[in-house]
Amino acid sequence: MAQLRQDHTKFVSRDVAVVVVGPENAQEFAAYFQKESLPFIGLPDPKSSVLKLYGQEVNLFKLGRMPAQVLIDKEGIARFVHYGHSMSDIPSNEEILALVDEINKQ
Amino acid sequence: MPRVSLNQSAPNFTLPDFSGKDFSLSDLKGQKIVLLVFNRTFA
Repeated sequence: MAQLRQDHTKFVSRDVAVVVVGPENAQEFAAYFQKESLPFIGLPDPKSSVLKLYGQEVNLFKLGRMPAQVLIDKEGIARFVHYGHSMSDIPSNEEILALVDEINKQ
Repeated sequence: MPRVSLNQSAPNFTLPDFSGKDFSLSDLKGQKIVLLVFNRTFA
C-alpha cells in the first residue's frame, strides 16, 4: 500500500484508479486508510465475494492468503494479472506504470 | 513471476466502499484504467 501511495500521482496522471479490496470490515478499512493517508478506493470484502468472483470466473487466482493485482483497461478488459507467492511479492510500480503506458498507447 | 495477458472482460461487481458508498467496476468503464489490488491484510 505504501509503495502504491508513493507513486499515486503517477497513476492518477495516467488515468489509473487504484481500487483496494480486502477482507477487513469497513471500520478497519477506514481506520487504516486514515492512518496511512491512503488516497485509494477501499472496498471491504469480508465475505471475499470479489475474490471468489474473480477466482471462479477468471479462474486465475490461487485463492488464498497472497496478494494479487489485476490491471483492467478502459474497455473493461483484464490486461495483466499477478498473484503473489508471498505477502511481499507484488510487482513494482515501474512495471505496472510501464504496462499502463502500453495500454494508453493503444 | 507469472504474467498473464487475459484479454477477456473483467467480471463486474458492486460493493460498498468503506464509507458506505456503492462502487461498481463498470462505473469506471470508458473513464479509467483500474488497478485492482487484492490485499490480504493490513497488518
